[in-house]
Amino acid sequence: MKRVSIFLCVFFLFFLLAGNLYAAEVKNPDTFILANYGNLRTLDPCVAYDVTSSQRLWNIYEPLIFFDGPYTDKFKPLLTTEVPSLENGGISQDGKTYTFTIRKGVTFHEGGDLTPEDVVYSFKRNMIADPDGGPMWMLLEALTGEGSTRDKDGKIIEGIFDTIDKCVEAKGDKVIIHLPRAYPPLLGILGYSSSVILDKEWAISKGCWDGDIKNAAKYNNPAPGHEPLLKIANGTNAYRMKSWEPNKEFVFERFDGYWGPKPRLKTAIVKYVKEWSTRKLMLQNGDADRVRVDNPYVPEVKAMKGLKLYEVPQLSVTAAFFCQKIYPTGNPNIGSGKLDGNGIPPDFFADINVRKAFLHAFDRATYKKDVFNDLVIMPSSPNIEGLPYHKDVPVYEFDLEKSASYMKKAWGGEVWEKGFKMIITYNTGNEMREAAAMMLAENVMSLNPKFNIEVRNVEWKDYLVKYRNFEFPLFLIGWGADYADPHNFMYTFMHSQGVYGRYMAYKNDEVDRLCEAGIQTIEPKKRDEIYTNLQNLWYTEAIAVPLYQQIVVRAYRDWVKGYVANPMLTDANEMLMDIWKE
Amino acid sequence: MLAFIIRRFLFLIFVLFGVSVLIFGILMTFSPERRAAAYVTTPQQAKDIPRLIKQFGLDEPFYIQYIRWIKEISQGNMGWSLVAARPVREAFWRYFPVTLEMNLFAAPIVIIFGIWLGTISGIHRDTWLDHTTRIFAIVGWSLPTFLFALVLLMVFYGYFQWFSPGVLSDDLTMFILDNPERFTRYTGLYTIDGILNGNFDLALDGLRHLVLPVMTYVIVVVALNMRVMRSGMIEELAKDYVITARAKGANKRTIHIKHARRNALLPVVTVAGQLVALSMEGSVAVEVVFNRQGIGWWLAESATQLDMPVLMCICLFMGIVFVITNLTLDILYAYIDPRIRLS
Repeated sequence: MKRVSIFLCVFFLFFLLAGNLYAAEVKNPDTFILANYGNLRTLDPCVAYDVTSSQRLWNIYEPLIFFDGPYTDKFKPLLTTEVPSLENGGISQDGKTYTFTIRKGVTFHEGGDLTPEDVVYSFKRNMIADPDGGPMWMLLEALTGEGSTRDKDGKIIEGIFDTIDKCVEAKGDKVIIHLPRAYPPLLGILGYSSSVILDKEWAISKGCWDGDIKNAAKYNNPAPGHEPLLKIANGTNAYRMKSWEPNKEFVFERFDGYWGPKPRLKTAIVKYVKEWSTRKLMLQNGDADRVRVDNPYVPEVKAMKGLKLYEVPQLSVTAAFFCQKIYPTGNPNIGSGKLDGNGIPPDFFADINVRKAFLHAFDRATYKKDVFNDLVIMPSSPNIEGLPYHKDVPVYEFDLEKSASYMKKAWGGEVWEKGFKMIITYNTGNEMREAAAMMLAENVMSLNPKFNIEVRNVEWKDYLVKYRNFEFPLFLIGWGADYADPHNFMYTFMHSQGVYGRYMAYKNDEVDRLCEAGIQTIEPKKRDEIYTNLQNLWYTEAIAVPLYQQIVVRAYRDWVKGYVANPMLTDANEMLMDIWKE
Repeated sequence: MLAFIIRRFLFLIFVLFGVSVLIFGILMTFSPERRAAAYVTTPQQAKDIPRLIKQFGLDEPFYIQYIRWIKEISQGNMGWSLVAARPVREAFWRYFPVTLEMNLFAAPIVIIFGIWLGTISGIHRDTWLDHTTRIFAIVGWSLPTFLFALVLLMVFYGYFQWFSPGVLSDDLTMFILDNPERFTRYTGLYTIDGILNGNFDLALDGLRHLVLPVMTYVIVVVALNMRVMRSGMIEELAKDYVITARAKGANKRTIHIKHARRNALLPVVTVAGQLVALSMEGSVAVEVVFNRQGIGWWLAESATQLDMPVLMCICLFMGIVFVITNLTLDILYAYIDPRIRLS
């Protein structure tokens, strides 16, 4: 027994000794450490469609242009010498031709020189690959007029590769992009991580499209894990990939051959740290220079010393959408499926009075204060603050009397008389949406004892499937900007074929016409008029309940300098070029 | 003995087949849309769900999908892990060493410490020593691992800054990256690789990062072992042969250690074996709090994201681990108690 005791004591002492001997920390001033928890899926620009992958790509590769400082609609030239505009002739008067002069003296990390052919190849290669679930629909929609290289059954659209081949060309030191129709958000799309520039020879040597358009089909839609640039990268930006250990850490190192000003940080490490307490302690101990802070933990970082906090409004918005054509068969969310007090009919929300009643039952002021501690923007329409042509249109103020009067009018008075029963769902774990669902349910139920609303949670992946199957009478979901243009939001939320418009089964010919006109118009004044009309229609049509536009708090150690907030760059992003430690 | 081992390994094939059909069947209860949704994360991507179903044949009959999967497995292709962004096989060999390393240090402590505490407690039944160890065991067993891990992290990392989370310090990670010729990854276990590479700083640093996870795991898990050992000791000490030995004036230590403890060990071996086998699937709480991406973390993430190839792989792996553990236990029984013959 004594021997065992001695063994155990020695064992623990050894551990403690090991701890004490090596407790000294080296906090390198030229190394930046970010503790985050996003899964990095891929380094292939044609597949990457999440904020974590974009962060890596934006620091390794460069697009032709990028967001200028805090602006979402102003750009700075990167691999082009000038941002094209109508004024400088880079954009043709009809808005269908864009000309870029390619910068000289730019080298890739692996040694190749940037040429206009690299630019042309990069656009074509990414569009040809166009994997399912990827970001290439944006460039395809703008450059070819099609949102995909394949039809609904997955078959390649006839002639699509020839269209891709013709839409972009190199002439001397210039790259010219031809559009089938004017597409005002193009510059924003060209700044996205799917528009970064590859080295043609290097990409071909790694198994990407061989440059022959006849072979394009072979390279179309690679299965997950089969994209050639999954774990390798060769860009022109100031940082190169040093190592990537999935779900552990990603290490950047400075690229000394960078064409622009030399970045101050030598190394940057993005660590995967799932648990908030661990991230918080890392920040507190100086082992991380910045950690990701989710909304509920903001008060904790506000109480910490030695930090510099930035409040950054995000270009994303969440709303509660009324489905006007709910799937009726065996759907528990609508009870009996009839207006008999034990359910709702599938077209319950087709009556604008019901929608207005719900809108007046949402207490925006309390929601803002109680759920977000006032750290949020309460949107009035999907064209949120930070987007061009944003207007503060009227909102339905919290007024239970008005709500009741609309309910009394709804369905010829039947709703008030018979009552109803339904279920509101939110995705599991999203406390902000849960609070909104609870508030709506409680306030509407307070109008009439015959109103019965239950709130339930559904796993996110199930939620994505079920709202598309028209199973939810009211679904709470958000949208983050793909590019900073109202089209990305207004079409999505209001057009009968938009991602949410379609699943609300909402159709208004005037709205559809304006959405289509908005994307085809290049003159800013006219666009302003169109999107102002749409924002007003959002109010008068009572399409959905706009819930919140989040403000993210970024917590840096106070020795980190140079961060510039840009709403297009989400919380997962960190532009290493801009920052340094001092 | 050899025939027995061969028989058990043949049995393993049936176990794996059963496990694979069961797990595959459970996963098939999810609709094709739901399984395709594993490949999308945002509403933007959701429009591609119908095409993903076609691409992966998710709407085909069960047996076709199962046969296709078996074919791939037989060719060594375990599939692609969405969570790890790597082939499952490659990811497994990244995450498994992290779990294994913790178990290599934790398991001996759990077993030895459990036996030791259980023995003391059993011998000194109903004394303050017994009460103390029992309270310790109950507290350890009932304390949520997650909470206990957080407390340790806050005290030893947050306050004292002795032990940091992760598997290795940043400076040593950078050393490995900067000097690939001076470090070979033999096992994926930094404590062992450090020694094999002659870099003892690295081995000690790896060890330092193990202190808190091991401590958490030991304190939480040792209770079960200790309680089984205690019951066994109490039972053995009440038997006739112990009373006879005492009456004959045999040495107390000899009675306790040589006779009673040896006989009380049999159920402990079973429990300890199962604990070790279970620990191979990692501890989610320990791995998440101490930021060690091992099998437990991987399994939890894969389960929430319905990363099917990973779930299948880990279930099969655990099937193998349990069959081998049971085989080892059977052999150990025969060694501990010669009355048990494998025939």
